[in-house]
Amino acid sequence: MNQHTYLRAYMAGIVFPTVFLLVIATAFAMMRYVFNIPVPIERVIVFPMAVVPNLWGLWNMLFVALRGHLHLSIGLHGALLPILLAPRGIVVASLLNFPIPNFAAHAFPIAAPVGLIVYYLAWKYLVSFFNRVLELA
Amino acid sequence: MSNQENEKQLQALLKQTLAPVKNTELQRDLWPQMLRRLDAQPLRVPWFDWALAALTAAALLFFPGTIPALFYHL
Repeated sequence: MNQHTYLRAYMAGIVFPTVFLLVIATAFAMMRYVFNIPVPIERVIVFPMAVVPNLWGLWNMLFVALRGHLHLSIGLHGALLPILLAPRGIVVASLLNFPIPNFAAHAFPIAAPVGLIVYYLAWKYLVSFFNRVLELA
Repeated sequence: MSNQENEKQLQALLKQTLAPVKNTELQRDLWPQMLRRLDAQPLRVPWFDWALAALTAAALLFFPGTIPALFYHL
């Protein structure tokens, strides 16, 4: 299996966020329609639904393309992605007039390092596993 | 038409319909791949990663406001 390397890298990259999207969509729908939280989540749901999985796929393609040149571990490579994603998420939210709830704004100093750690672990163990399955390792 | 004739006719029809299978041999030897799988080291998680996972779990537990922010970016 040594053909279409970048296509396989893209597919290995999008598996985890795409599957996890079910959890996110369920949680968001519960918050909005069961607990009646007055935050219009549907305005910004496009970001985790479309942008995040695609960026994971493209980021894994970049990892595969650069692995011969840069000796960066896949965990650290993945941990760099939130630095790219977070500002875009905030821009999308502000462009769509999404009112960021106070509790989320106050949680930012904790959420930022937690996000980096979650991405580091997800890339080190999950994306790396999918890369091995698709014989990209 | 007797039973024997019927069977012969059925046999002929089946042979005509089901073409003989070609290329039944494997295209490549799978044993080296199997040996590589057997030799592969089991996944070992270093203590540092356990610590990071515990730290994350604690942060999510004590600051649940981080969960929606994390979900939004995941």
